[in-house]
Amino acid sequence: MIVAERKPLAEIRGFVDDYRRILILGCGTCATVCLAGGEAEVKVVAAGLRISFLRDEKEVEILEDCVTRQCEPEFVADLPRKVQDEGVGAVVSLGCGVGVNFLAQTLETVPVFPGVNTEFFGAAVEPGVWLEMCAGCGNCILHLTGGICPIARCSKSILNGPCGGSRDGKCEINPEVECGWALIVERMKKLGTLDRLAEILPPRDWSTSHHGGPRKVIHPEAAPAAIGQGKAEQ
Amino acid sequence: MSGNRLAQEQQPVYAPCTAACPVHTDTRQLVEFIVEGRYEDALELLLEANPFSSVCGRICHHPCEQSCRRSKVDAPVGLMRLKRFVVEAMRDYRLSRRTAGGPPQKREKVAVIGSGPAGLTAAGDLAREGFRPVVFERSATPGGLLGNAIPRYRLPYAVVKEDIDDILARGVELRTAVTVGQDLLLEDLFAEGFAAVLIATGLSESRTLAIPGIDSRGVLLALPFLRTVLSSQPPAVGRRVVVIGGGNVAVDVARTARRLGAEKVTMVCLESREEMPAWSWEVEETEEEGVQIMPSWGPRSVFGEDGELKGLELRRCTAVFDSDGRFSPRFDENDTATIVADNLIIAIGQRGNLTCLRGSGVETDGPDRIRWDPGTLATSREGVFACGEVATGPGSAVEAVFDGHRAAKAIVHYLETDELLEQPPMELPHIGEIPDEVAEKVPVLSPVAAEVLSPEDRVRDFSEIERGFTEAEALAEARRCLACTTGALVDEERCAGCLTCVRICPFGVATVEQTAAMPQEECMACGLCAAQCPAAAIALKRFGTNQMREMVQPVVMELKKRAGAEAAVIVSYCCLFEITGRDFIRRAQEEYPPRGIVPVLVPCVARLSVADLLSPFEVGADGLVVIGCSEGSCLYPTAEQRVMERIRRAKGVLAEIGLESERIDYWRTERSAEASWTAFWELSQRKLSRIRSASEERRR
Ligand SMILES: Cc1cc2nc3c(=O)[nH]c(=O)nc-3n(C[C@H](O)[C@H](O)[C@H](O)COP(=O)(O)OP(=O)(O)OC[C@H]3O[C@@H](n4cnc5c(N)ncnc54)[C@H](O)[C@@H]3O)c2cc1C
Ligand code: SF4
Repeated sequence: MIVAERKPLAEIRGFVDDYRRILILGCGTCATVCLAGGEAEVKVVAAGLRISFLRDEKEVEILEDCVTRQCEPEFVADLPRKVQDEGVGAVVSLGCGVGVNFLAQTLETVPVFPGVNTEFFGAAVEPGVWLEMCAGCGNCILHLTGGICPIARCSKSILNGPCGGSRDGKCEINPEVECGWALIVERMKKLGTLDRLAEILPPRDWSTSHHGGPRKVIHPEAAPAAIGQGKAEQ
Repeated sequence: MSGNRLAQEQQPVYAPCTAACPVHTDTRQLVEFIVEGRYEDALELLLEANPFSSVCGRICHHPCEQSCRRSKVDAPVGLMRLKRFVVEAMRDYRLSRRTAGGPPQKREKVAVIGSGPAGLTAAGDLAREGFRPVVFERSATPGGLLGNAIPRYRLPYAVVKEDIDDILARGVELRTAVTVGQDLLLEDLFAEGFAAVLIATGLSESRTLAIPGIDSRGVLLALPFLRTVLSSQPPAVGRRVVVIGGGNVAVDVARTARRLGAEKVTMVCLESREEMPAWSWEVEETEEEGVQIMPSWGPRSVFGEDGELKGLELRRCTAVFDSDGRFSPRFDENDTATIVADNLIIAIGQRGNLTCLRGSGVETDGPDRIRWDPGTLATSREGVFACGEVATGPGSAVEAVFDGHRAAKAIVHYLETDELLEQPPMELPHIGEIPDEVAEKVPVLSPVAAEVLSPEDRVRDFSEIERGFTEAEALAEARRCLACTTGALVDEERCAGCLTCVRICPFGVATVEQTAAMPQEECMACGLCAAQCPAAAIALKRFGTNQMREMVQPVVMELKKRAGAEAAVIVSYCCLFEITGRDFIRRAQEEYPPRGIVPVLVPCVARLSVADLLSPFEVGADGLVVIGCSEGSCLYPTAEQRVMERIRRAKGVLAEIGLESERIDYWRTERSAEASWTAFWELSQRKLSRIRSASEERRR
């Protein structure tokens, strides 16, 4: 899941200071689950902004809404009309960065501001605690590393670890951070496949990752029409 | 909307108390009204279901309590006493609504024979429908067995009269001291222009025993005995009284005999202690009053001298029922006992007296049962209906009331359509019992005991033995209600399956499979999940808190507008359950706002979300004071901890926008709302006024 964290209200307030009708738009999927931008948080942000404007004796209308996912056309299809009908001057998206981007494209002339900081792809390791576990590099090598990702969970993303900075299972950058490679070694010991680590992984082709520019995925059944286009771009 | 919600709304499921009540009194709603101090609404609710609410608040066999789901945790909620509280507290209101006047009397006359709960209920309903019911009663005092049998120490006549006067005020005519079948025939009624007749004559005769010596002087029958006790010349009883019977009537007879001065009263019954048909609580009280019970004995013969009772011989009863559960007592003739007695009172059951049918042609089933159709309540003669115990056999007052309602429906339908109305038995679907694993997590709250006179004081006279709940007691008892069927409802469309509810539910009820689910049986309706759900996808069927802003806005704005308001304006969310008198609710809502304090009562402050905590500030309040329940009295585990966490978050939000986090205070009630809240409000308000001026200073 995409994990995000709400931005401080003072920062959000700074974005929208000049607007008189502001829509706070939540996202009902990842941002809800990570407690950063669901309908309940929309209410909190809206309340916070209202209080803040009230204190400055500024008359500002704060609208609230939440869509199932901000990253799908169907779920945001009604938005441009709604924004226009209600005279919304600015939108604060509590969806992840994808949501902000998608809304920005959808809404064309109305500014969309990020209400959260999008952090990473992670898991809820315990209630209220999320940990980064995948870096979205576009060429998964988890089969080689016992299911634990060296790119996401090693601070240096090295492919043949651990490095000399691994201390009692912790990473040298911060004693709170687990050494990804120590986790890989422990896991592969348990699987009885530790010997495979003797093999040196060759340097990777990072073009599948963001280094190769913005990526696109086309599913042949879901998007037959896009196939030619996709190929042409490759 | 969500499938969950729709499914539940299409098929209403009732609280078990409501389903168990023969007249389906919405007891859960009643308790909610009490908690909110809405006693008038509570009374309306009661009277709508049961015109004999005063009576039933005293002597109902209260199946509602027997089915109360709280029994699984500790003991049932004292619903009968709560009803009594409502009628007692609302006496004046009841009188004022009575004089409000009934609907015009325009349609046909209906004769009702018998003024017991069945007949009078039917008559009341008929009057409300615009008919002109006339009730004929043999006795001089109306009320049936309620007025002419049940002893006053359990049911003062003033209580019965309260209900009866209410019914009569609807436009019911009562003619007492008229025995139909004797003073007047059924035929005469039709000739007099009555369009229909309802027979509700009850079971007014006592059964007797066919054993040698039974006609000795000193042998009495239960109902005539109880009737004379209620007359102006109560009978004298001897020193030693034996009562035959193990039911509620026998119990009343035995306790009455004690009050008339009998020193040694013994109840002899065929049944074993456990099988005794009398209610267990009645049996206990009877023993407290010094009545001795001899279970598993049956009378063989009565012996005497010169026709005067001296005692009776008993034989051991080895079984009361046969293998099919039919009454078929067996005795061990070798196990016998002798018991001396100055009086023997026989209380082994009642039967009907069908005098009223004389010459009417209405068919009967044997000498004391009327032949009638249980679905349509019709008898063999057109236009003649029967209801109450004369038709159904022995039961309870509230069952008679239920039958009275049915009879009125049957007659209205008949008079309007000329056809019979089939009313099949109906059972309300109700929520099942609390699973063990949930029940063990529910905090125990012992029931509030109603004050009862000591047994020694009780047997002195016929004064009522139990005092009703005080208001504080009633409110404390009402708090124990689990509010069955009002729990969490998930809007599946919004639910993101995030597991927050699963992690937070203190009763381990919520589960997530695709979307969240809280089975009605299990949910304790605490609302903790709803306040925490990040998708705002959980609603509660009652007491939603999502209107907080709209609620406080007008009051706060008004206060802020008032020029020269020195003191800070604060909103105070308080735990409704800590109030011991509704007067305080009124005062809180009328007297405090002008002083800058806007109290908002919520059933458990843990129902408030972070956004709810921020609402007062949105509308311009200077501060918020949250007052939770007193130490250890919370109905819901972890609730206080959740409120504290949310308050911390709300304070964090204030800090983010540059407001002092001390603008939110949390207090725990001490003793009661009345005893502590005012002080909390004043302290917080003083502090907030300081904060406000300092902050205004800085901004200038
Ligand atoms: C001692 C005793 C204790 C009880 N305790 C309880 C209790 O604690 N709780 C509870 O729920 N129930 C109790 N009951 C039962 C309850 O009283 C009855 O269920 C209820 O009264 C039945 O109502 P009804 O209207 O069918 O008949 P009744 O109450 O019997 O009323 C019938 C009326 O018809 C009149 N009548 C009969 N024949 C004629 C005629 N020919 N002409 C004119 N009028 C006539 C009678 O005088 C009587 O007033 C008790 C009953 C007894 C006897
Ligand atoms: S948290 Fe409370 S309201 Fe929610 S499911 Fe559990 S018991 Fe029901």
